[in-house]
Amino acid sequence: MRIDAEKCIGCGRCVPYCPVNAISLSGHKTVIEEDECVDCGVCKRVDECPRGAIFMPAECFEYPRAIRMQFSDPGVQHPNLKSWGRGTEEAKTNDVTGKFKRGEYGMFIEFGRPGTGTRIREIEKITVAMRKLGLPILKDNPLFGLLKEDLSGEFKPEFVNEKVLSAILEVRFNDSELEDIVGKIFPLFDTLETVVSVGLVSRFDENDKLPVIDRLKKLGLSVRPNAKINVGLGRPLVDE
Amino acid sequence: MTHSLHRLGTEENLRHDFCIYTRAAKGINREHCGDGLRKTLKIYISEDVVNYGSSHSGKSFMAGLDPEEYAKTLDNSYGVIATFADREAVAGVLKKAKEEQIGISTVVSGLIDEVVDIAHECGLHPHTATLSLGIYGKTELLPKREILEMTTMCGHSLIAAGLVKSVIEKIKAGKITVEEGARIIAKPCTCGIFNTRRGCALMKKMLEEKCAGCSDD
Repeated sequence: MRIDAEKCIGCGRCVPYCPVNAISLSGHKTVIEEDECVDCGVCKRVDECPRGAIFMPAECFEYPRAIRMQFSDPGVQHPNLKSWGRGTEEAKTNDVTGKFKRGEYGMFIEFGRPGTGTRIREIEKITVAMRKLGLPILKDNPLFGLLKEDLSGEFKPEFVNEKVLSAILEVRFNDSELEDIVGKIFPLFDTLETVVSVGLVSRFDENDKLPVIDRLKKLGLSVRPNAKINVGLGRPLVDE
Repeated sequence: MTHSLHRLGTEENLRHDFCIYTRAAKGINREHCGDGLRKTLKIYISEDVVNYGSSHSGKSFMAGLDPEEYAKTLDNSYGVIATFADREAVAGVLKKAKEEQIGISTVVSGLIDEVVDIAHECGLHPHTATLSLGIYGKTELLPKREILEMTTMCGHSLIAAGLVKSVIEKIKAGKITVEEGARIIAKPCTCGIFNTRRGCALMKKMLEEKCAGCSDD
């Protein structure tokens, strides 16, 4: 994003809206620090600027910078998946896709959330470590297309310094691997210069219970009292 | 997107906070899902809905999204989402969606025990859960918890901590009401999952407790 200095009157009304604090007053003008900006578009969309001075310059649509808006503005589609938002399906449609079966889990590691944003190089710390541990990186995810083709877990060099508001890495594994995966992945988060919010997908059992919660607590993890629950209204229902 | 999953709060202040997301699945029931989504939107609006919206329309109900205009765009979409503040409204939506046999996957976010109870009340069996395991990494970058309880009501992190602080300052100064403040904060969240009623309650509590430090970090 950029502010047209000719139009800007330095009122500062846009400043508090920036989720990553990239807008500030400089003298009698308001400026956007473009390397910190994630191109989420909030400052323009809220339409607070009395002079219409905020705009998305053409270079924001060119690669590698274009991934900023794809991962930060939920109104921009991820071109490889034709999906909005952060581009992951997780459990939202699991009652009809059967992507996660009983005895399988999905872990969703969202980098830069809440509100700090992340450079792609921070995600790379985890993807490289995951590959060394032999863990696959799921293809049906917008991050997959940014990775080098050698499956080392490294991202293509042109993307490494790009900054996005958040991006989700997915890991899928079996029931027997839960303790091992948690023990290997969670310590890696201490190496990050950003934050991650972590989610875990699990099927309910035959008694509508989630036994995984006790296992997670035994591992020392806090399980929040609120969750997202697919209530089984999709048809045709997959319920094996 | 994990969207409404990581809403931070206490059991007490999350008790009146629900989001319902109805989403068609690629390759299964997404083609021609527009009519099903329109029926769903109508059901949402028939209950005591707090907010709803659309990221591709670029605005929420709280920011002026017109429901009739929005309904027309649903042929180009694959989901609708809305926010509610009480369990009766959520139960009302699920019962109607079941009766009408819309058949599109539906996710409810809220307190786990509460959502499971509501599902049972509606004759449904919860299928799959996405659990929130918390925040890790460089957590010293985060603002205070009271601010995070507000900002995490946008699942795409589009609500700035600075905006919440600025609104609280304006309320303290008597320039705006708490309700006006909640609408300002809701504006960047185009999906419409910022719960303005919960936002008002949280800000009133902050103001009562004088929220030491809410505006100085």
